[in-house]
Amino acid sequence: MERVKERAKVLEIKDLRVSFHTRRGVFKALRGVDLELYKGEVLGLAGESGSGKSTLGLAIMGLLPRNARVESGEVLLDGSKDVLKMLRDYGSRDVKFDPRKNEKLIKRLNKELREVRGRALAMVFQEPLTSLNPVLQVGYQIAEAVYYHDPMRLVRRAISRNRCTQADLRDLMTTLKTKGEEALIEEVEKRNLRGLEEQILSIWRRQDIHEAKKEKLILSLDKHKLDSKDRLGISIYLRGLQRVPVLGRLAKDALIKEGYRLAVEILTYLGIPHPEKVVRMYPHELSGGMRQRVVIGIAIVNNPEIVIMDEPTSALDVTIQAQILELVSSLKASSNRSFIFISHDLSVLAEVSDRIAIMYAGKIAEVGPVKVIFEEPQHPYTKMLMDAIPTMDKTELKAIPGSVPDMRSPPKGCSFSNRCPFVMPKCKEMEPPMVEVSEGHKVACFLVGERK
Amino acid sequence: MEERTEEGKYSNLILSLKVFFSNRTAVAGMVIFLAYVVDALIMQFDPRLLGVTNPNQFTYNFVNPVPQPPSSQYPLGTTYPGINLLQAILEAIRVDLGYSMLIVVGGAVIGAVVGILAAYVGGYLDELLMRFTDIFFSVPYLVLAIAVGFALGRSFTSMVIALIIVWWPIYARYTRSLTLSIKESVFVEAAKAAGASMVRIMFKHILPNTLPPVVVQISLDLGSVVGVFATLAFIGFIPNANTPELGYLASLGLNYVQSAPWTVIFPGLAITLFALSVNLMGDGLRDVIDPRRRS
Amino acid sequence: MIGAFNLKKYFPVRGGVVGTQYLKAVDNVTLTVRRGEVVGVVGESGSGKSTLGRMLIRLLEPTGGEILFDAPEEEMVKYREALESGDKESAEMISRKYSLLRKKGSELRKLRTRMSMVFQDPYSSLDPRFRILDVIMEPMISTGYLRGEEARKKALDLLEEVGLPRAFGNRYPHELSGGQRQRVAIARALSTDPELVILDEPTSALDVSVQAQILNLLKEFRRRKNITMVLITHNIAVVSYMADRVAVMYSGRLMEIGDKDDVLTRPKHPYTMALISSVPRPRPGEARKRIVLKGDPPNLLSPPRGCVFHPRCPMAFHECGWTAEEVAEDINYLVQGKYYNVFGDNVKVIPLQDKVKVEGANPESIKKVLEVERENIRSLTAVKEVTEDSLLIIHAFQEPKLYKESERRSVSCLLYR
Repeated sequence: MERVKERAKVLEIKDLRVSFHTRRGVFKALRGVDLELYKGEVLGLAGESGSGKSTLGLAIMGLLPRNARVESGEVLLDGSKDVLKMLRDYGSRDVKFDPRKNEKLIKRLNKELREVRGRALAMVFQEPLTSLNPVLQVGYQIAEAVYYHDPMRLVRRAISRNRCTQADLRDLMTTLKTKGEEALIEEVEKRNLRGLEEQILSIWRRQDIHEAKKEKLILSLDKHKLDSKDRLGISIYLRGLQRVPVLGRLAKDALIKEGYRLAVEILTYLGIPHPEKVVRMYPHELSGGMRQRVVIGIAIVNNPEIVIMDEPTSALDVTIQAQILELVSSLKASSNRSFIFISHDLSVLAEVSDRIAIMYAGKIAEVGPVKVIFEEPQHPYTKMLMDAIPTMDKTELKAIPGSVPDMRSPPKGCSFSNRCPFVMPKCKEMEPPMVEVSEGHKVACFLVGERK
Repeated sequence: MEERTEEGKYSNLILSLKVFFSNRTAVAGMVIFLAYVVDALIMQFDPRLLGVTNPNQFTYNFVNPVPQPPSSQYPLGTTYPGINLLQAILEAIRVDLGYSMLIVVGGAVIGAVVGILAAYVGGYLDELLMRFTDIFFSVPYLVLAIAVGFALGRSFTSMVIALIIVWWPIYARYTRSLTLSIKESVFVEAAKAAGASMVRIMFKHILPNTLPPVVVQISLDLGSVVGVFATLAFIGFIPNANTPELGYLASLGLNYVQSAPWTVIFPGLAITLFALSVNLMGDGLRDVIDPRRRS
Repeated sequence: MIGAFNLKKYFPVRGGVVGTQYLKAVDNVTLTVRRGEVVGVVGESGSGKSTLGRMLIRLLEPTGGEILFDAPEEEMVKYREALESGDKESAEMISRKYSLLRKKGSELRKLRTRMSMVFQDPYSSLDPRFRILDVIMEPMISTGYLRGEEARKKALDLLEEVGLPRAFGNRYPHELSGGQRQRVAIARALSTDPELVILDEPTSALDVSVQAQILNLLKEFRRRKNITMVLITHNIAVVSYMADRVAVMYSGRLMEIGDKDDVLTRPKHPYTMALISSVPRPRPGEARKRIVLKGDPPNLLSPPRGCVFHPRCPMAFHECGWTAEEVAEDINYLVQGKYYNVFGDNVKVIPLQDKVKVEGANPESIKKVLEVERENIRSLTAVKEVTEDSLLIIHAFQEPKLYKESERRSVSCLLYR
């Protein structure tokens, strides 16, 4: 956090402009957003409804609806992959916007991004019930997420387990105990058992059981051999016959079965009790908090670099929210993953974020390290927002007068000018530029520029 | 706070029109439907505009009763006994349209009252009314209509009554299901908390909210009612053989159908076209009242 | 002003094999509200707080219990004492006089002018086919409080009072934003000059900046008109801002009730403690101990034995209602996992009636595990003794009641017996 600049950027958004074409008019949802995400951080994205925070999340994922026009801007993954290029090439052209044409492009983009999503990007939505399929078992849904993004991983897991011997396992166990995890991975490579290491490590990293039990579980991995049907399925897959009607079914069944094992590991990792039972349950049988864990499980199962969470706790009760926030913190600590945590609740963001970006009317008003934003906010909107959140120790709330501008015709100049107590004539004329006030702390307000 | 204020009810109407007019088939349906309505109105108020002297009777021509094929004099040909088909169809539309409207609206009103009562009061009344409608559902409608028609005597009035009896259960079921969901809405709860009586809630809150979907249903049903009405007339439920009616008109040419198929085809087409147009229009209206399709 | 005594609401749930079960949405809740005060009812979803609010205003008929309306405080106290001492006669006398539940027809309609409700979702609580003016006039007309031109004038004045232009009277709800609609809902609730207003999550559907506007508006009305309010919400910060007293609910039961400052700053009930510590605070980096509860709220069709909170409670002890199944599950978890090295593969944990049988284990090692883990795994406190043949005997349990912890605070927890 302290030396934000030295960290690698995993995502960069440059001057992103997206508008929605509806029958009621053209809504300018994003009006020039610049933002970056660094490796291993949680970026909190705050804003009221209509501020564009959810649209930004969807745009990064390439999950825009058909009537969304990408007018300009870039979303760069790892500094190179330009996610929205296809849509922007169409959206920036000076022609009448046709949602049907846009839809075709979105479909193409989705195909292209399928591989990127999962590996690089994943998303968790607010309402877990709508992002889970009600008629499929939880384990199946996790398994399918892997099957679509990285089927070879399932193949490797199954084959390596099938091939390994008790002697292999004993040797690997010794390596793990004496030389550590790195050495184990090397040893697994050497023995040509790739896919086994994650199964061993998922047991080894568990906190809740005694070492003796871990050892026993690891040593009994070779008991879970494939049956003849699964062997057939996997060999079909390896011969590239998964598109042949009946054979493909066999291949998918075998891999999904392996995926269930992986699902159990993931759910164990997420702290769900009785994961073997939970993978066989349907979403409606789970509580809200459990469902959200499952959705998070689906998001992280492919080890994405970036996880975007759109209001992941807003539908949950506070005590359950606390569980999920704790889970997010531990996920951050245990991996080098980056998170974008979107929420309307600044308090929630204060708990999980390293940096916070405040959005207002489709633009970033202020962005900076979490402490700075909460302790020395510079933008009048941020300040007023802080005064408007009820907390347990406030005796007075200062409401922000007025409401957000109509995004079909956002005001000229600063979009907050109609509610701002410090409004100056030039605020109505020009849009304030982003000014860096201290390291990593940027504000889009003329007041800040003045003082400098 | 002044957001959305410039957007009035007016703009909501415009939005609805936009939704409707963006659906081309619905607009086509509406144009045809309006043509029928205009024809019916002209026949009612000033039939001479279309060259008809007496819209209450077919004009027979016993001098040349055998059906003539379409010609410049008779664009749709003639049917037995020497009736100008085009003119006859234009006359008959008024009767079919008028009675069908009467039947559907009558059925809808009765059905809505029964449906709302059943759903809102619930319990035994619901059970009783719904089993009652089930009975009507279980009898094939044509058979039921014929039975009622016989019981009441053959007249237009008895046919209308018969068809209302056949039709209201559909609306009872439909409004009942609508009411069941509206009844659970918070604004009904708010009305209860405000001390509103049951009658007030049913007629001030629930009924107006069931209306738009019921109106759509009415427009969709109009087509089938015209068909059924004409069918009944076709099979001889016509009390006064001289009243212009499409089904009866079709039946006049029945003996000549092999040598002069137009005598049956054109009246049939008039019915079919009407049914099609109201269905297309109804689909468009359904889009208008469905907020999900508005984006 | 209003008092609920042992209020219950059981919803029948028709099940296939098991027959009709009852979902105890609210169970034995006693709550009195004094004139002019704001009582906040906090709880998570499924805690029964909304059901309670709807019973107070008679939108739902209670399954049991009594509600007294507009009874002087002495009478309320007397009624409560009579209930506790089993003095049916004097209880009956008071309830005949003040019972809200016995009011019917025109009497009830008249009472409806004296209380009203604001609902959570301003998008569904206004009839889409009513104009704003008609929405606000509805309570006046339905109860006969005011009619015609008078009602109209009052409605227009109210619009102004809630900060909306008079011209809005002719609009329809869909033309208004969420905050504006909630203002209309408040105007409707105030139209008959009620003494009591029930607010069911009045701001949870709104944005923060609008939420502050609405809360301040409510505060302003309270100050000017001395309205008594029951504020139902899951947002503790909102309660803290608005309320004088706080009642905490969990799974249909009242856990704790007392003055706001006491309850929120010095919570007594373990659930309240956890709830308050779970509330996120806008203080990044602030070091504080957060109690993260395990698991989920219970299924109300088969609530836990004893105290409903005991399975999640970090302070639960032997009498809280542990069952053999609960103890067995935790022991099994330890035996199979953390203490696998001690017990090995051949241990079987079988729950019996108020006993747990641990087959194939040495009683001494069980005792040792219990000793160590008791602090973390609270169900283990319920083991009264371990017999020679490794039979674990479970303590008897007690149902908690609302205990008076101090003059103005009651807690439903055995710790405060």
